Parts: sequence; structure tokens; C-alpha cells
Amino acid sequence: MDLTQLHEHEKRIIKFLEKNPKSSVEDIQKETKLNKDSIERAILWLKLKGLIEITEKSKDYYVLTLEGEEYLKTGLPEKRLLKTIQEGTNSIDELKNKVSYFSIGLVWAKKNEWVEIANGKIAITNKGKEALFKKTKDESVLNDITKSKKELDKEVVDTLIKRGLVKVKQDVKRDISLTEKGKEIAKTIKLTKEISQITPEIIKKGEWKKAVIRAYDVNLPTPKIFPAKRHYMMQIIEYIRKIWIELGFKEMTGPMVDISFWNFDALFQPQDHPARDLADTFYMKQPDYGILPDKEIVQAVKATHENGWTCNSTGWQYKWDENVAKKCILRTHTTILSARTLAKLREDIAKDALPAKYFSVGRVFRNETLDWKHLAEFYQTDGIVVGEDVNFRHFLFYLKRFFAKLGFDKARFRPAYFPYTELSTEIEVWHPEHKSWIEIGGAGIFRPEVVKPLLGKDIPVLAWGPGFDRIVMLNYKIKDIRELYWNDLKQLREAKLWLK
Amino acid sequence: MPTIKVNTREFCNFVGKNMSVDEIAERIPMLGVAWEGHTNDEFEVEVFPNRPDMLSVEGLARSFSSFLGFKKGLKKYSAEQSEYMITVDGSVSKVRPIIVSCVIKGLDFNDDLIKSVMQLQEKLMLTHGRKRKKVAIGLHDLDKINFPLTYTTVNDNVRFIPLEFNEEMSIKQILETHPKGKEYAHILQGSQNYPVIIDAVGRIISFPPIINSEHTKINENTKNIFVDITALDAKAAMEVLNIIATNLADRGGRIFRVKIKYPDSLIYTPDLSTREINVDLKYANKILGLNLDTEQAIEFLKRMGYDAIELRKDVLKVQIPCYRTDIMHEFDIVEDIAIAYGYENFDAEIPNISTIGGEDQLEAFATKIRSLLVGFGLQEVLTFILSNKNALFEKMNLKEQDIAETANSKTSEYNVVRNWLLPSMMDVLARNKHNDYPQNIFEVGDCVELASNDIGAATVKKMCIVLCHAKASFSEIKSIVESFMKNIGIEDYAIEEDNHDSFIPGRTAKLIIKGREIALFGEIHPIVLEKWGLEMPVAACEMNVNWLFEEIFK
Repeated sequence: MDLTQLHEHEKRIIKFLEKNPKSSVEDIQKETKLNKDSIERAILWLKLKGLIEITEKSKDYYVLTLEGEEYLKTGLPEKRLLKTIQEGTNSIDELKNKVSYFSIGLVWAKKNEWVEIANGKIAITNKGKEALFKKTKDESVLNDITKSKKELDKEVVDTLIKRGLVKVKQDVKRDISLTEKGKEIAKTIKLTKEISQITPEIIKKGEWKKAVIRAYDVNLPTPKIFPAKRHYMMQIIEYIRKIWIELGFKEMTGPMVDISFWNFDALFQPQDHPARDLADTFYMKQPDYGILPDKEIVQAVKATHENGWTCNSTGWQYKWDENVAKKCILRTHTTILSARTLAKLREDIAKDALPAKYFSVGRVFRNETLDWKHLAEFYQTDGIVVGEDVNFRHFLFYLKRFFAKLGFDKARFRPAYFPYTELSTEIEVWHPEHKSWIEIGGAGIFRPEVVKPLLGKDIPVLAWGPGFDRIVMLNYKIKDIRELYWNDLKQLREAKLWLK
Repeated sequence: MPTIKVNTREFCNFVGKNMSVDEIAERIPMLGVAWEGHTNDEFEVEVFPNRPDMLSVEGLARSFSSFLGFKKGLKKYSAEQSEYMITVDGSVSKVRPIIVSCVIKGLDFNDDLIKSVMQLQEKLMLTHGRKRKKVAIGLHDLDKINFPLTYTTVNDNVRFIPLEFNEEMSIKQILETHPKGKEYAHILQGSQNYPVIIDAVGRIISFPPIINSEHTKINENTKNIFVDITALDAKAAMEVLNIIATNLADRGGRIFRVKIKYPDSLIYTPDLSTREINVDLKYANKILGLNLDTEQAIEFLKRMGYDAIELRKDVLKVQIPCYRTDIMHEFDIVEDIAIAYGYENFDAEIPNISTIGGEDQLEAFATKIRSLLVGFGLQEVLTFILSNKNALFEKMNLKEQDIAETANSKTSEYNVVRNWLLPSMMDVLARNKHNDYPQNIFEVGDCVELASNDIGAATVKKMCIVLCHAKASFSEIKSIVESFMKNIGIEDYAIEEDNHDSFIPGRTAKLIIKGREIALFGEIHPIVLEKWGLEMPVAACEMNVNWLFEEIFK
């Protein structure tokens, strides 16, 4: 055995046992001056290493109960009763007040035939007088027990146990000796100072130079700790923002509560479109109506809905109502930000603002009853590319690149429908572990009916607004979408970093 | 979005080719129809709202067949003359002003057809008809009707036998007790007069948009049908009529026109004529990033059910079939060219444009302070922005105040937008009582406050730190707040004692920068802890990040 695997304490105990077989822990303590816990720990390890053997013998011994200890201090109640009578009080009523534990005292005094009772008075017998001036057997035994005397009157002890003044305890005595292997090792041990915890003191004084630094068992379990960190969803949001910025996109942000105009009308959704239904959209009670933007934009949007305006479109052919557009809502998609951005770009279009690329990552709201598949609020990431020369193939490039960065090398695109896009596309990515296509969300090229009223000019605008809850759930093996916002601290503390 | 069930055998018959379900499942999504699944003899697909013509097996098969190249090009439909007539009474103009109609003869009403036509009727009313409000459809056995018909209104005492019943009911009874009456009564709400179609012998055959009469019900002996479409909107009504007429014509039916006499005009429906639109090939190629020539473009258009000719160089004249309701702009045609070309056949290409990316400044600031807060040993949490007044006020020991509130939430738990973060954090603590302490957490998140801007509300970023453990105290939170301020370079602030009912008096403070109260912090009042069921002390700080940002950057 490699001696460095023996703790300094273990070595000392082996050396002691070499000369003193069949020793107890107390024996070892006396000689080595180690504390009891250290010795216990050391002999446990030595036994596991097969260097010592332990034989155990158990033995009964007596101790006083709390009541026993009290009587030892203040005297037995029967003895105190005698004394008080001797001092001149003999009426039961008075004695009751003067002598504590009077009833107990009286019972035992009578049992010992120390007193007699007549007419409410107590008198001491001859036996009682004798007892007054000497130590009774009970008293001596109580005293002997506290001094751990070995020879005790068994009969008296039993009575005291019954009175509840003494109780039995068991002592396990261990005889510790070296095994043959232990004796072999003992011969090789030369005691040097061993260091377990390196302290500033040891380093300063250079004590370590004259000592051995004890080896640890590197496989021993250590306490679990958890770092404080970012919420995993936020880590992914940061990552997504980074992807867009790397691709040259500028971030757009905007209000959660907005007017229907930007959320729906500006995106060419007719006012009776099912998506605007009360069932899907949170309408606001307060604030209920907002103010529409510039008249020029509003008029263009109105005309586009009604008859296509100057977009070479038929429009939806209905009467557009500006009061419907003024209604306040919680935004149902971050595409609202793309609409607002196009309207803002309108002012800069002459100043070389194009081509331009924008993205957003933000919370959106749907009036859903929450269950394992549905939330009333979730995240979306929108992007637009505004440029005279951008086309559908560029659109595919940005989306493929984005999803490849998120770890999905295979993305596919199939025709879909959104009222505000053409070449409307449903994006699906291949999940290699689940071996299935996952629907991620919609994209397309904004219709001229969206772009021209906002931007003032019909220019291609590539646009997309996928969600990423599903990706997060798959990555973190979350089955119930509500878990994303449960904030179970155990889950958050144990969640792996987003390492992409 | 509507899904339909399609009999696979019937579908293949219409397509004109025997295909396995797997082949259909593989190809049909590329036409713009989402595959939902299949059983032994049926498959289910989701049809997008721009293509109501595909809401039945006939229409779906027609498009799919030409998409695959079997039956390409424009399919022409025509309607024959007839003497069928409906007179429209002026009284309907206030309730349900539009009626259009057609007659289809020579159908074989087997089970397949009944099922398919019922599904088409139901889905069209649901989607294009906006749950019957905008458009409702009635189908009748033609041979049980005495022409001419009158479309008029009656009061609610008028009686007839509604579909699936065997005794007369009054309009009032139908609206109150008939299952369809109860479901759709709201559409006619507020009206004293109810639209009905009455035949030449005075029999009510339909009470749109609620229910038909039992008398004209279609059964397996029916050969000829009468279609009534009532609506609020003429365009939508005509579109629905054309879809029904053409789909039934694909079944071998002959379409007959119906004369409709409005008080001030006379029309014949259906109108199955095609529309024309010019498509600039250069425009199409530019948007698609392709280089299609006229011949290729025309081939792709035929695959999408159009006919096209070259009008002049690079300009195609495209004929749109009468059942297509979604073509508003030449871009719609470009999309169809792309679908015929196949989305899967486009090669992605890096655009040759350069732009400079960048973060929103406030978001960037928020990210920075989040990492600083993690450095204080605080775990980030992410909570809902939606909340309720009980959490925001009652449980925080506060009087209710005006906040942004929704009008129609499905759950009372989420019917207001939070105006501060602390209640969300208390909720997190309340849900984590079984987990190890200390629970020191933070969030930087959005809140909404009522404001006097154009919307009437403003979104404000706030930050909240919550310390929850046996020794959480004012001094601990104050240390963090002061260190936080130092780390973001703000030294010029004052801390003053504050009163706030969520916090313990004498252990509450505000942090003031240039007169503006930017943060509130202190020990949470035991009344509040009790309301959230917490048995651990909590110290907290709520800060307005927008204001902090303005202090630093403006």
C-alpha cells in the first residue's frame, strides 16, 4: 500500500496500536491527543482498508434521571419531610406548603415506617429518628452512580429505577487491534508531519517543505452547487439577435399595446378577416381607441383595401372603417414592427436608406386558453429585407442561413397563405433526433398592397416571422409549453447553457 | 383554418390517375395544401383561406391534376338558359340584401356526393362565409319547388317545418329552440323581419342564414338541385356560387342560370366568365430570381389551371378561371408560377447587398444590465406580461389603479397587462417553495403603463431584483442597488425613505436621480408575504430601465 494514501491520523493510530493491541477509542485519544471525531473517522477508514479489526462488547451502566439528579442536590423528599417535622411542623396542611414533592415524600416515609399519621398530624417514629441522622442506602447508591462506582446494591438500584430516579444505559466497548496487514504496514511507517488543509500560515512559514501533503480520494463526492445564470429562453433570444446582427440586420422594437391599424390594416388584412376575430386577438378595454397615423398613409391604406388604390390591385372591395382600425390591441405578431418600420423608412427613402434589413425578437399575444400546447403570449422573430433587387432566392438564403445557425441544416419551404405576403411560405426544419419535420412559421414577400401605402413605393420586401418555442422545447426536452415560463428554479439551475 | 376529409379513391378518379396515399402526401403540400394525415380510405388536408375552390374533392383534384400535368390549362364552364326566377322584395335590403342562385341538373346523389357537397357547403360558410354571417348557402331538391320564388321578409310568427324536424315551428321557435337557430340567431339579432325564400304556392323553402325547409331536403333520389346563396356582400356571394356550380359540374351536372329580379335591376346568375390579367414576365422573373421564357411561363400557368398567350414581348395575357376568388394583383399569378415551378426547385442565393447591422440601444443596455445582475448571484427568470388585478394590487396590499386592461380575455387570470414586475416575481417565489433557498432572482422585462400618447399606453422596460432567504434584509438589497448604480456609472443620486404599502414602513427607500424616482426598494411587508403564502423574508428592488437609459444616454 502506498503510504501517502494514509492520513496522518491513520498513521498515528497504527503506530499506537502496534504497541497497544486491544485498545479503545479512549485509549487512543489519551495517547494521540486527537479529537474523538477524527479518531472515529480514521478507524472507519482503517477498517475499510483492512488494516485494523474491531471487536465490540456491550455493557450496561447506570445514570441518574433528571429527577434523580435533583434529589441528589436537594435531598430525597421523604428525608426533607422528616427534617421539617423535626424542626417543629407537624400539621399535614402546613407540611404540604413547606415541603416540595410532599406527597412523594409522605408515600416513601410511610413505606419506610419513618412516620405515623393521626388527626391530620404526622409524627416521626423511632425508625425515622434513626434515619434522620444517617445516609440512607438510596442516597449512597445515587451518589455512587454519579461516581461510576462498579459495586452497587442491586436491590436498591432496582427500586431507584422503579422510582424513575435511575436509568440503564448501554456502553459498547470496542477493542481495536491491527490486522496482519496492519502490522506489516506499521513496520514501514515513520511518522512525519502531514498536511491536509494548506493554510496561509503553512505557505508563509514554508512548513510544507518538511511535511507530506495528504493525497485525497479524487472520486469522493463533493457538494452540488448551482451558478446564477441567464434564463435559457433569454440565452436563445440573445443568440438569435446575434445571428441577425451578423447578417447585417438592424433591430426594431415597439409597443406591446398598439392600434389595430398597424397590426392588421397596414398589413392588408381585411377588416372582417378571421384573424381579427375576438377569438384570437386581445382587444383592449383600456386604452380602447388610439389615434391613427399620418393622413397620407391612412388614406392610402383605406383606398388599397377598398379598391386597390394605385397598386394595380382590385383590393378587397369593401367599405373600410377607420374606427375599426383605431381599436387598441395587444400585438398578435411582431410583423407589426415591420409595418411600422416601412412607414418610417418612407421618410428616408430618398436619402440612400435602401437597401435596408431589419429584425425583431419580441413577445406577441393570442387570446388562447392555456394548455400544454398553447400560450397566450410567446416569442416571434421577424425580419425584412427591403431592396429593389431582392428576390425569392435571396429570401430562401436568409432563412436557410438563419435555421442552419440554429442547428437545423435541412429546411424546406412549402406554399402557404398569409394575407400580407405573396410566395407565402411555410418553413419546416428537419429535426435529426426526432426524425421529423417541424413547422416553424410563415414567411413570404410583402404584397404591393402592403408596401406601397407604407413606403410610398412598390419595392420588394422579403419578410418572415417564425416562432422558436418549439426549437427551445426540443432542445431542452420540454413537453409542456407552459414550462417555458414556469420558472421552476430547480429546472433553471440545472438547465444547460445554450451552446450554439 | 379549415381542414377537409377526402375519399382517396374518389380523389384519384377525379385526378385521373391512381396514386398511393404516400405519393399524394408527398406532392400535395407543394401545391399549397397542408397534409394532416390519412386513414384507410380517406385523407385529411388543410386548405388555406385563399383557395376556397379546393374545399371539396372535385376542386382539390382539379387543381392537383393540372399541377401534376395531367389535365392542364383553363377549364371552361358555362351555364344554360332557364326560366327559373327569384323576385327580391325590397324589405330584405336591411337584413340580408343579396341573393344569387343556380340550378344544377343530372346529378347522381350517391353517398359520396352527399357527403362531399355537405362538407363543401359547411366549410364555405365557415370560411368565405364568415360563419354564415357574410354568406349562407342553401341546397334544395329542385323538383319539390314551385317557381317562381320570392326572397322577402316575414315576422317571427310565420311557421314552416325546418330541416330534420317533422312539425311546423314558428321563426321565433326556431331561433329559440332549433340547434341551428340557437347557433346562428345572433346574425339576425336586432331585426324584426326575417329573410325567407317562399315558393309559388306560398311554401317557405328557406330561412337564411339559419335553416332550410324539410320539404326540399336532398336525398339519394335527388337528381336536380336548386342552390340559393344569401349574403351581405355581392362579390363573396358570386364567388361561393361559382365554386359550388363548377365543383358540381365536375360531377357531371349541367348548370342552369337563374333570373333574379331586384327591385331596381335584373341579373342572371351564375356568371361563369373568365377574367383576364396581364403579367409582365420581367417582373415575374425579377421577383422569382429566375429567367423563364414565355413558353416556360405559359406551361407553368397551365399547370395552375390558367390559359395564357403572349400579348406582346414579355407580357402575358392570363385567363383566370371563374372559381378563383383570390387573384387581386399580377403578383398572385407570379406566386402560382412559383408553385408550378416548385418551391423545392429554387436555389438559394446570397444577395449582393451590404447593410450594417446593429442592436436597438435600449435592448443592448438591457442585455448589459442582465449580465451585471447575474454577477450578483441572481438567477434570471422570465414571466408573463399578462396578469390580473388580484396579483398586481390585492396581493401586493395596494389599492386598485387604472391600468391597461383587455376587453375579451378567455381567462380571468390574464386580463390586464402588468404595470410592474414585482408581482410576477412574487409569483415565481410562491411557485418555488419546494426548492432550495436562497432564491435570489431578477428579471428585466416589459410592462405597460397608461399614457397620453397616440395609443394611450406605453411599453416600459423595468427591472426587478428579489432576494428571498432567511436573512434577506434591507441592507442586502441596498448594497446591491448601490453597487449596481456604481457599476453603470451613476454616482449622482439620492436615497430617501419612502412609503409603499407593499413594503415594511421604515425599511423602504426610493432612489432619486435628478428629481425622478427611478427605483423603489426595501423589505417586503409580511402582509404581502402572507398573501402569497411565503414563509421566508423577501427584500426587493423595482427600477425603471427606460429612465435609467435616458439618464445615461440622453
